[in-house]
Amino acid sequence: MISGKLKILEHALLSMGRRKQKNFAIIAVYTLTVATLASILFLTQSLRTEARNVLLDAPDLVVQRLAAGRHDLIPNHYAEKIGQLPGVGNVTPRIWGYYYDSLKKVNFTLMGIGPKERDLQLFSGELPKTAKQCALGNGIAKAYGVELGDSLVLVDSQNRTLLYEITGLFDHQSNLLTNDLILLTEPELRRFFNLPADRATDLAVQVYNQREIATLAKKIKYELPDTRPVGKTEILHTYDTVFNWRSGIMLTVFVSALIAFCILAWDKATGISAEEKREIGILKAIGWDTTDVLMLKFWEGLAVSLSSFLLGSSIAYLHIYFYGASVLTPVIQGWSVLFPEFQLTPAIDLYQIFVLAILTIVPYIACTVIPSWKSAITDPDSVMRS
Amino acid sequence: MRSLCLILIAIFLAAASPSGATEPARPDKKDRCPVCGMFVAPYPDWIATIVFKDGSQLFFDGAKDLFRYYYSLPNENDTRTRDTIGKIYLTDYYSTRLLPVEQVFLILGSDVYGPMGHELIPVAGEEAAKTFAKDHKGQKIITFEQLTPQLIPVD
Repeated sequence: MISGKLKILEHALLSMGRRKQKNFAIIAVYTLTVATLASILFLTQSLRTEARNVLLDAPDLVVQRLAAGRHDLIPNHYAEKIGQLPGVGNVTPRIWGYYYDSLKKVNFTLMGIGPKERDLQLFSGELPKTAKQCALGNGIAKAYGVELGDSLVLVDSQNRTLLYEITGLFDHQSNLLTNDLILLTEPELRRFFNLPADRATDLAVQVYNQREIATLAKKIKYELPDTRPVGKTEILHTYDTVFNWRSGIMLTVFVSALIAFCILAWDKATGISAEEKREIGILKAIGWDTTDVLMLKFWEGLAVSLSSFLLGSSIAYLHIYFYGASVLTPVIQGWSVLFPEFQLTPAIDLYQIFVLAILTIVPYIACTVIPSWKSAITDPDSVMRS
Repeated sequence: MRSLCLILIAIFLAAASPSGATEPARPDKKDRCPVCGMFVAPYPDWIATIVFKDGSQLFFDGAKDLFRYYYSLPNENDTRTRDTIGKIYLTDYYSTRLLPVEQVFLILGSDVYGPMGHELIPVAGEEAAKTFAKDHKGQKIITFEQLTPQLIPVD
């Protein structure tokens, strides 16, 4: 029984070999379509995972102050008030801001670090300790061509040119987070931006029970009406929406490609040539069953679609994870001028792969089997004569 | 020789004291709640535990299941009586730390649900308990001594 099926498979592969050009064309187009779709899926999935991983270390709640509907500096004494609410752990005032370098035409993020800085992973060298020191992300070091021990020139808010000694560098693994980051000591950053000493950019609030974040956000908003508390889940949600939206746009663009492929597949697969019809007729005449013919066509369809699917997915995998999604990055990355060159960690959703497989393999097999079934059930004699 | 002995004793004490005095052991992945049969480890904010005098320990996924078990002792699977219980720990809602049951207030009828539905929410400190009751529509604040089997939520 099984050897009979294998014989049919063998015959299917041999007969496909006889129509090399046609099958090769289908496989090429098919592979390209699968590769494009799978690339989009892989890329969005890993960006989403990456964002999620990044946000694991993000503060549970960020409290900003709003003035006239816009972000404003928050008074430090707000931190004490928030710290007294039950369920709140540490409240840390953060100092940070943006810096535009007109020479390189890029935006940086400048951040102040307090005396009790945390242990930083993915970091070489030391964190800045004096006003004349700084630590850099990889992207900035590359943009200026500087290394550990060199100096970085920045122009402060009073238009004075200042030299900072580079004491630390972030590794490129943390690029998504630190690519455009410059760390200065907190007092120096306040002086640099001319910020008042009793105010911070925002407050990072630690909440022990994740269930309580929404309640605390409501309470903070009630007690300090000029603030805007932003929960970690909200940030996550925003990222998700952004990535969904972007991948959605790409998918709409590529839907046309998918439809074009469908038309081609339909045309190539359904348009049974006279030669193929005759072949079916002969097979029936020498004693093949209709089921055998259908089995033959099924194997043919499966061989084409499965190999294209596997090939396409592999190409997509290589494209995203080994060549850094070079084709898709301009579309999916956003707003920043200094792009992080990041290596994505493979994150594959089996469910998505499965859906993609079902959407591409099944219709193709249907396209090949149904028309052959039509000619297989007609009388072999009339098929051969026509 | 003597100093070595002292060092050994010191090491022994250092190793023994944190587990004995301050916090009970945390559940591992295989620990199940003896009342509902669910794995306990995925709900770190709800863990409740009974430490028996002989050192054995049971984990529950919420104060409700723990108290159900407590009032059912001795039951058909466990012949131990309530007198063999050394200490009961509940997870404080606000700090998510395990605290002895005497140190927390229990809030009934709130809108916060645990893994097993309605819960008695353990909150440390009277002020915090009142805040919780206000924020989450808690109907009653009681202590462990005031708890009776009838007060335990049914579902």
